[in-house]
Amino acid sequence: MSIKERGYTHWDGKLKESRFPWWPISRLGIRLTFKKKFFKFFFFLSLSPALAYLVGIYVSERMEEFRFMVQESVSFLQINPNYFKSYLTGDFLYFMIILILVFAASGLISDDLRHNSLQLYFSRPLKKRDYFMGKSSVIVFFLFILTMIPSLVLFLMKLIFSGSFKFFSTYPWLPLSIIGYSLLLTVFFSFYALFLSSLSPNRRYVAVLILGFYFFSDILFGIFKGIFHSHYFSLLSIKSNLQQVGALFFQQKTPYEISWVFSLLVLLGVCVLSALVLRKKVQGVRIIK
Amino acid sequence: MNPVIETKNLSKWYGNVLGLSDVFLQISSGITGLLGPNGAGKSTLLSLITGQIKPSIGSVSLLGERIRNNYPLLARIGYCPERDSFYEEMTGWQYLTGLLKLGHFSSSQIESLAEKALDIVELVEDKHRVIRSYSQGMRQRLKFAQAIAHNPEVLILDEPLNGLDPLGKRKLISLIKSYRQKEKTVLVSSHVLPEIEALTQQIILIHQGKIFAQGDIHYIRDLLETHPHKISIRCSHPRKMASEFIHKPYVLKVSFGTSQDSLIVETNNRDGLFSIIPSLSVKNNIQIDEITSPDDNLQAVFDYLVGK
Repeated sequence: MSIKERGYTHWDGKLKESRFPWWPISRLGIRLTFKKKFFKFFFFLSLSPALAYLVGIYVSERMEEFRFMVQESVSFLQINPNYFKSYLTGDFLYFMIILILVFAASGLISDDLRHNSLQLYFSRPLKKRDYFMGKSSVIVFFLFILTMIPSLVLFLMKLIFSGSFKFFSTYPWLPLSIIGYSLLLTVFFSFYALFLSSLSPNRRYVAVLILGFYFFSDILFGIFKGIFHSHYFSLLSIKSNLQQVGALFFQQKTPYEISWVFSLLVLLGVCVLSALVLRKKVQGVRIIK
Repeated sequence: MNPVIETKNLSKWYGNVLGLSDVFLQISSGITGLLGPNGAGKSTLLSLITGQIKPSIGSVSLLGERIRNNYPLLARIGYCPERDSFYEEMTGWQYLTGLLKLGHFSSSQIESLAEKALDIVELVEDKHRVIRSYSQGMRQRLKFAQAIAHNPEVLILDEPLNGLDPLGKRKLISLIKSYRQKEKTVLVSSHVLPEIEALTQQIILIHQGKIFAQGDIHYIRDLLETHPHKISIRCSHPRKMASEFIHKPYVLKVSFGTSQDSLIVETNNRDGLFSIIPSLSVKNNIQIDEITSPDDNLQAVFDYLVGK
């Protein structure tokens, strides 16, 4: 039989599918991030607020011994949901998250665009969903280390230092709030960073965008609030919206006199917009019209 | 037997721009060349066949299954894109093993598959060098290695010989040809005719998003009855031979070659012409040294089909 007459015999077997096809992408992303210059320094620096809050919990449980040190800071050292909220909605933590995103997320998609790697990814048994899972899990990994894990550790340490479950029985919902708000932060910043990373094949440009959008939104809020004295302009600021929703999670008073619903809608809007752009931008074949 | 690759009524528009129009194809095992000028729709067709873009109309099936959104099927395809797709700061080894990891292989399988692929493309000694330091030929071979590493049944190669020097081309051509013996299906695109001719006789001609012809190069040529065939005859008495030919109704034109011993006959009935040559030779005592068909090549077919 000549070769041109040959076809194939249908195979009825089942093709092997991995349960976590995105895992190699995540692992590579995490490994490459740790290889980046200065990253380790900033990464450990970003854990310093958690350390400070841990010291705060320890001191609060040994108030008599440390009274000479704390003096006017006693109110700050009252361990309650607000304490955890102030950790998770703190300016410094947000800043460190943005800095970590600059290192870990700026190149996630932009490097693939620069190296034309998307067509290679999508010519493998890999769904677009798996690709996004792999990329976003790099961000999830770092942000959980900054948000959920330290917050839960702080909660646990509070129980250990106090030597009782009284705190837990008073605020049984607090671990769920911590998990919920950490998830919100992680999901939002994952969309935010992946969206910006898909906008350019230049990683440095994306890094500027990640920093720029965050600070520019806050500056814009400051300018408009200064001119119009309206809290509604807090909706322009990423940080303010996150703080508004954070207050809701920890059952605290919102920092601005507007409903948290608006802030939540803004954050959801950013996520939806990012998802739409990502869907459009991340294609195996780039179509130039 | 079913065709390995089958497209039905396949069309693709990019907005108002036509990428591919009404393509019906059946591709069997062996090497098939996809030939067409730049912008003809070759890459669009390959992207549709590999399921990377969605057809506007029609369907593509590969190994009897629909390709679009059929992710496990992609494990049976090896794709070599036209453009370089490298993380320059990675080594060849890291690049290859990294891509194999996406194919759900175990660590030991990945190492042996990568080693084997690098061995085939003769890059074992350079596997730990960063890709940035690779020559164009090495890059092309590495790209080919990633396509064959997982031992796919179907290989889709988009302009694999681009930018290679003659030696590099020869190496890669013999590598691709070796897949014919392995009973694999290889679809190679190129806009360079001699490259395709060196690889295969099975061709698909594509131009302006349409398939102009498909099949064996000689067979396609034979189908073009309206287009005169050129036959070059090198013999001892070309003028005597010419005087015999001009009486035949299917001989359209006779001219003489640059050398004194050859004539070129144009005919619309090649078989008829070939059948009378032996008798004419015997009758007139003319010694025939060589008979060739100068336009029985891809260039002539292609030029004719695209209306040059």
